[in-house]
Amino acid sequence: MILLSRRSWYKLLIHGLLILLVITIAFPVIFALITSTLNFQQSYEYPPRLIPSTHFFANAAVAWERINMGRILLNTSFISIVVALAKIVLALMAAFAYTHFKFRGRALLFPMTMITQMLPLPVRILPTFGLMASFGWVNSYYALTIPFFASTTGILLFRQFFMTVPRDLPDAARVDGSGPMRYFLQILVPISKTNIAALFVIEFIFMWSQYLWPLIVTTTGEMRVVQIGIKMLLASEQIAPEWNVIMAGAIIAMLPPLAVLILFRKSFTKGIAMQSEK
Amino acid sequence: MKRVLAVALLAVLVLSSFAFAEKTQITWWHAMSGSRLGVVEAIVDSFNASQPDYEIVPLFTGSYAETLTKFIASYPVGSAPNLIQVYEVGTQTMIDSDAIVPVYQIPEMFGETWDWAQYVIPITAYYSVDGNLWSMPFNSSTAMLYYNKDIFRAAGLDPNKPPTTWAEMEEYGQQIVDSGVVENAFSTGWPDWIFEQMLATHNHLYANNDNGRGGLATEVAFNDDFGRLILDTFVRLHDKGIYIYGGAEYSANSAFKGGQIAMLLQSTSSLAGIIKASEFEVGTSFLPRFEGYPIGNSVIGGGSLWVTKGQSEAELRGVWEFLKYLGKTDVAIQWHKGTGYFPVSGSALKVLLDEGWFSQDQAYLTAFLQILSGRRDTAAALGTRLGPFVEMRDQYRTSFEKALAHDLTPAEALDEAAAKMNQLLADYYELFGD
Amino acid sequence: MVEDRFPKHRLLPYLLIAPSIIVIVLFLVVPFAQSVRSSLYVSNVFGTKTIYVGLRNFARLISSPDYRSSVLTTLAFSGFVIVIGLSISLAIAQLLNQKIRGVGFYQVALIWTYALSPAVAGVIWALMFAPSTGIVPYIISRITGGPLINWMTSGEIALFVVAGAATWKMLGYNIVFFLAGLQNVPNELREAARVDGAGPWRTFWSITFPMLSPTVTFLMFVNMLYSFFQVFGLIDIMTQGGPGNATNILVYKLYRDGFIHLKSGSASAQSLMIFVVISVAAIIQLRVATRKAIYAR
Repeated sequence: MILLSRRSWYKLLIHGLLILLVITIAFPVIFALITSTLNFQQSYEYPPRLIPSTHFFANAAVAWERINMGRILLNTSFISIVVALAKIVLALMAAFAYTHFKFRGRALLFPMTMITQMLPLPVRILPTFGLMASFGWVNSYYALTIPFFASTTGILLFRQFFMTVPRDLPDAARVDGSGPMRYFLQILVPISKTNIAALFVIEFIFMWSQYLWPLIVTTTGEMRVVQIGIKMLLASEQIAPEWNVIMAGAIIAMLPPLAVLILFRKSFTKGIAMQSEK
Repeated sequence: MKRVLAVALLAVLVLSSFAFAEKTQITWWHAMSGSRLGVVEAIVDSFNASQPDYEIVPLFTGSYAETLTKFIASYPVGSAPNLIQVYEVGTQTMIDSDAIVPVYQIPEMFGETWDWAQYVIPITAYYSVDGNLWSMPFNSSTAMLYYNKDIFRAAGLDPNKPPTTWAEMEEYGQQIVDSGVVENAFSTGWPDWIFEQMLATHNHLYANNDNGRGGLATEVAFNDDFGRLILDTFVRLHDKGIYIYGGAEYSANSAFKGGQIAMLLQSTSSLAGIIKASEFEVGTSFLPRFEGYPIGNSVIGGGSLWVTKGQSEAELRGVWEFLKYLGKTDVAIQWHKGTGYFPVSGSALKVLLDEGWFSQDQAYLTAFLQILSGRRDTAAALGTRLGPFVEMRDQYRTSFEKALAHDLTPAEALDEAAAKMNQLLADYYELFGD
Repeated sequence: MVEDRFPKHRLLPYLLIAPSIIVIVLFLVVPFAQSVRSSLYVSNVFGTKTIYVGLRNFARLISSPDYRSSVLTTLAFSGFVIVIGLSISLAIAQLLNQKIRGVGFYQVALIWTYALSPAVAGVIWALMFAPSTGIVPYIISRITGGPLINWMTSGEIALFVVAGAATWKMLGYNIVFFLAGLQNVPNELREAARVDGAGPWRTFWSITFPMLSPTVTFLMFVNMLYSFFQVFGLIDIMTQGGPGNATNILVYKLYRDGFIHLKSGSASAQSLMIFVVISVAAIIQLRVATRKAIYAR
């Protein structure tokens, strides 16, 4: 019998549970990955096959070609980055205004927040689409990006952070003779790096996942986004779904947001932790 | 120096004349996915190569519903395509849309006369109003019975004698289930469409006003003894395990291909895919009938091509040239052989018969024989045109599922469906009727 | 208290908030007002003919069994995602909060599902649960000895599978926030409870959980919005509202009626009703949050 302290058993148990959890949670994607390496016959083996094969790149090539993956990856990356950045910029500016100035519009903050929270897209989808039509923005990058530019999540995030900034900082800057914008750009923004990164992750993933809006607002393949591409992949065989090809496409579709999450993980978790501190 | 300038000017003029001689682009939105997409592209490529003036630009815009939605979104802002494929249930919507040019008016615009009778008549009848063709039939299919000859043999049935009546469906189905070869004998795709088929093949109206062909329908006409007979049959066979519910569209196909059911009532457009993917001998036959009831015809499904209003004359001409091209014998044959949809031109049909295409595989002939041997003179046999058809089909499916689950009796299910559908028709009439 | 740090600049704050306000007014408030207006009409496909019907669209919805069942389905679905999702995430976060080696690795390995889109999550679960060929029905039938479950023909199973996929996808997000919240619970409080003789279960419920209430409230609201709206892609890919309307949650019914059945009046009325539901839920959560926060002090 191995002599382990109670504490060590306890730690072993925790590790064991965690590893079990990691595997269970990852299982769907692992299975998807395996399926994406099979060819059509193998993907319909019964009982379902758990041993990977070598056809991933062949499947990926089929998926790539079928839905013009290059173009749609470009589209989705473009709108995700543009919207994330725009949201951050607008949120920083608004949060700066709300925390460093006294002005009559201050009373608008709370209603603004509540409005955006309670008016998610589906609640106003038909008229917003009509607006796109009257601007002539249907099937354009404008329609895919500009309506998303307001982010009260961001405003609240930065507002909370700015309120923790030491009071003498702006005063010191003012004494130096620099104006508010200088202070904003050279001091406030740089120290907000962690929050900016966290918000970038959240907004990038949010935009990358957009489905309903691109579904109705884009009409041609040139403007298509990744999520709709996945749907097109599914629709391409009416008799039996080509799971191997579909999974290859799905794997490709999940890589960019995954990369963003992993790259910025530290800032992401830190930014959220900061927000949770009261 | 002047010489150089003159040559340069000439070069510019010559080069720019190429720009002016550009092909007129015609956009075409369609919902043909999978292997059908390849055939579409092949046909478009050959059309584009065959003449210097027009270039068709096809675009797969998703499902039929999505394609129609996109059309509705883009028409008011002027970004609609020149040509669009719409499913058959959208026919009334397109007729009432005021956004299209009826096809029959086009030849006159160019001083041409066109023989509409060259197209297969039961098909064109579906898309005609008062005898005039409004949209160009493109991908037409109907429904038929597929069966697995191997399972028939294993169950002790003659593989060359499929059931022709519902009594035989029940009898053979029972024998199949009892033999233990498979757990359930048959399933269907599109339960709502199959219901419509049952009405039409027995010359029974689906809705009033001649199935919506003589004027907007305001009431459904199936809530009677015959309608109840259809539903009763399905529910009874379901209870016996002979029939298993197959979902909304094509879900039952994989069960049939996998040899888990012996028979399938499904669209003829599934034929090519089923033959390719099945490892058993596939047989086809007419849809089963109720003995002793009148004869009608099976209804056309699929889609047709509509010409958008507001195009330039050059574009319209290009569209018309393409529509004529699609009706050419060899193109129609190419479309049929590649997809299994009916060839729309009578001459194509004749060539196929003559070259013995159908004797190579009897299965392809069944669909034609069924359509050509039925009536073509009654509204009930020609198919239904309803405004809110999509939602009405959804409603039928919901009520049908409740009947199968015994949440409602068949009579109650029909009452529920009829009541809801009549409300939908009334709403549509409120907006479009006069 | 916010102070006026740059009193000489009167115009600047307005310029700073202007872009956000413009976007919100133009793309949120104005369309919402238009939604309100169009919910009082029925109109034809291109909007060229409209008929005023007052509250008829709403009356029809409220009296429609399909709509009522959609509401129930949405509540059940949302309830599952919130209750099951938050419980599991909290438990996992608790595990992660222990002092063990490799916390960083485990963290990444457990939160990454957040990066998946609902559509991708849907397509993967559709694969796993594919009726005759999927791996999960196979495993389940081996364990229970029963027939292969078929989510395409059973409404309950379909709802369950869809809810499972949706919950699974959000685990990562919930875990991150719970972990942050847990790490803010002062250790002294927990130590004090232990010294007092309280077991780990008791400590959790009387100390940790109340201190987590702002996080819980926040996550409940986010998960509610998620399960009402963002799962649209998941549903469209997996079930399209079926079988037999079993997964026809409110947002999906809205899409079908507005964009497939082409009934804009009814769709507008439905969007307003969703708005009412969300607002009521938001107000309730706000009330509960402020009250709980007072107690947590």
